[in-house]
Amino acid sequence: MEEEARVIQFRLDPRSGVSTYLQLVHQVRNALRLGMLRPGDQLPTVKEVVGSLAINPNTVLKAYRELEHEGLVEGRPGMGTFVLRTLKGPSPDKHAALKRSLDRWLQSAFEAGFDVEAVVALFETTLRAVREEGVA
Amino acid sequence: MSAVVATGLGKRYGRVWALRDCSLEIPEGRVAALVGPNGAGKTTLLHLATGLLEPSAGSISVLGRRPDRDPSVLPLIGFMAQEVPLYRTFTAGDMLEFGRRMNPRWDEGFARKRLERVGIRPNDRVGHLSGGQRSQVALTLALAKRPSVLLLDEPLASLDPLARREFLKALMEGVAEDGATVVLSSHLISDLERVCDYLILLSASRTQVAGEVEQLLETHRVISGPRKDGAVPAGVAAVIEQSSSERQTTMLVRTEGPILDPAWSVQKVGLEELVLGYLGQPNATALPGPRLAPIRMEVS
Amino acid sequence: MTWLAWRQHRMQLLFGAAFLALMLAFLLPTGLGIASTYRSSGLASCLSTAGRDCGELSDSFIGRYSRMQFLIPLFLVLPAIVGMFWGAPLVARETEHGTHRLAWTQSVTRSKWLNVKLLALVAATLAGIGSVAWVLSWWSRPLVAASDDRFNPGIFDIRGVVPVAYALFALALGVAAGTLIRRTVPAMAATFTGFGGVRLAVALLLRPHYAAPRSTSFALFGRGVGTGQGDWILSTKTVDAAGRFVTSGEGLDLNYVSRHCPGVNPSPGSFPSKDALTACVRKLGLHVQATYQPGSRYWRFQFIETGIFVALAAGLLLLAAWWVRRRVS
Repeated sequence: MEEEARVIQFRLDPRSGVSTYLQLVHQVRNALRLGMLRPGDQLPTVKEVVGSLAINPNTVLKAYRELEHEGLVEGRPGMGTFVLRTLKGPSPDKHAALKRSLDRWLQSAFEAGFDVEAVVALFETTLRAVREEGVA
Repeated sequence: MSAVVATGLGKRYGRVWALRDCSLEIPEGRVAALVGPNGAGKTTLLHLATGLLEPSAGSISVLGRRPDRDPSVLPLIGFMAQEVPLYRTFTAGDMLEFGRRMNPRWDEGFARKRLERVGIRPNDRVGHLSGGQRSQVALTLALAKRPSVLLLDEPLASLDPLARREFLKALMEGVAEDGATVVLSSHLISDLERVCDYLILLSASRTQVAGEVEQLLETHRVISGPRKDGAVPAGVAAVIEQSSSERQTTMLVRTEGPILDPAWSVQKVGLEELVLGYLGQPNATALPGPRLAPIRMEVS
Repeated sequence: MTWLAWRQHRMQLLFGAAFLALMLAFLLPTGLGIASTYRSSGLASCLSTAGRDCGELSDSFIGRYSRMQFLIPLFLVLPAIVGMFWGAPLVARETEHGTHRLAWTQSVTRSKWLNVKLLALVAATLAGIGSVAWVLSWWSRPLVAASDDRFNPGIFDIRGVVPVAYALFALALGVAAGTLIRRTVPAMAATFTGFGGVRLAVALLLRPHYAAPRSTSFALFGRGVGTGQGDWILSTKTVDAAGRFVTSGEGLDLNYVSRHCPGVNPSPGSFPSKDALTACVRKLGLHVQATYQPGSRYWRFQFIETGIFVALAAGLLLLAAWWVRRRVS
């Protein structure tokens, strides 16, 4: 069986509550952030993605359009979809600052009577809501 | 253009209506799920769409033509019947030859490659193939004629989970390549959720729900709030289903605007939940409003 | 579509061809044997000489081939076999297995699907049954000449042109039955019984009346009407000089004779002498009245019956075609 060696393989989590096309968008953005996808790389064709995930081709098209809208990729007719630029991860100072504010927030949450489970539940619900609203 | 248009479509056997008052419009390029309990009329609807049956009432047109009267639409429709009928004494190669001889547009290379990919040899006798393999042969036959509309009657029914996944992969690849419109019937909505962007729910031989999946999911919510009989927050257009405990009421509702009442918690609904909700309430419907037919000006 | 017709019917057609070959392999050598014995026994020249009584020669000639009588029921049933095995499965096998939903949703219309298959089967039936009937007619000519019974039911049905018409009718009946009943085995049963019923009805009720029968009388124990003319005797009865009924058939009612010719029977329980009987018959004026179809009408009757069955076949095929196009799903 011939398998094109692609730089990214998509995965689908049907239970995450996040719509499929957004999951694809996020996976591309993550790959860009981690440096696994570099400018010039070709994304898998729509046919390849649906052939491995068994999802609607329109979903993939929607995801690629979204990425194109963000300027991250470019679709070349007859050739495929290619990565245009990288996404920078957070810088080390941003990382440290966020960690400090998270520490403080957790402290106030525990003082307010939240237990670990409640904190995790609140975090997950809020995260989901934010992701659902899209990346814009 | 719409790929499939049905207006008041009905089919009667003696005094029993297998399908009644069915109206729907499936836009081109969609992958539509045709869902409903057994005996709801799914097979009847598909047979009417392929021209195997004549309507008793109303009409159906595929790509603008009547399938039971206009044979020119036959090459454009790919069909897989329930229980995957194939000629058991034929070999897989014979089945491909059959497809080639019976269809003007036939992609022999595509067909051979497809069978090779799923491990079916041309000399294998169809009667000796497994259920999943037979489904793949039937799908190949339907896809290789390069149809514009694909109609599949319960194609996943007797397949194990792996075979189901392989079948859907193959189907989606075919759609990605050709942009065909697909109508898939099943009573397993969970299988179809990943691939369908249009939903038709048939229940008791009538259309209960017809519309784009995205739009349906956007306009339905599950809300829970304090139990106050009859009370329904603003933004709710219709209550589809509700259950109550002593203190709390949970409802599946169709919305006409955002529900902002803080007393109610609002959650999105999954497709399976939505389908089950409607199936439990046969009188509830979610149908697109009446559309005016476009007026064509004839310039002589 | 022709490829599909061949691919689906090739076994049927090959079986038919094998049967035909088998039959020819049997009929050709035996037929040559019969023809040569016909000449060498002197029967041929006897029959062609007017006025000679060839009864004994005929009987011994026919007696030699009594083992071949199995051919009669075989060829009477043969058209029904065609109907059952070629006609009934045509549509029924597809609807039974649901493959009609495969065949009729390709790009070929149902009408073309049916027409191509029918054309193949009809052509094969014409060729196959036609040749077998032709060879059988040739094969049996000496025997029929000897027994003078080509017009009789049974023999009439397996020679000449009617076997082809029967086979076409059986084929059409099978196709129609399969189309309406939609399952192969019940359709085969319906074809067999339907074929038998119609054939019997036509042969017994209609055939005697294709033309007005003629009547004639002849002497009792005489040579009978038109010996050597190949007439078809429909009915006979023995009557007295005044035309009163004595007994049916060509024979004597001994009770009647004893009553009207006293003394003919010397002692009860014994048979009267030939002279006494002859005298009694002459005295009472006993003779035979017969209705018959003259042998000269043989071919006219063949064509009329052929026409009937071909018309029935055409009607049934049209019915099947209409049903397939409009009603089957």
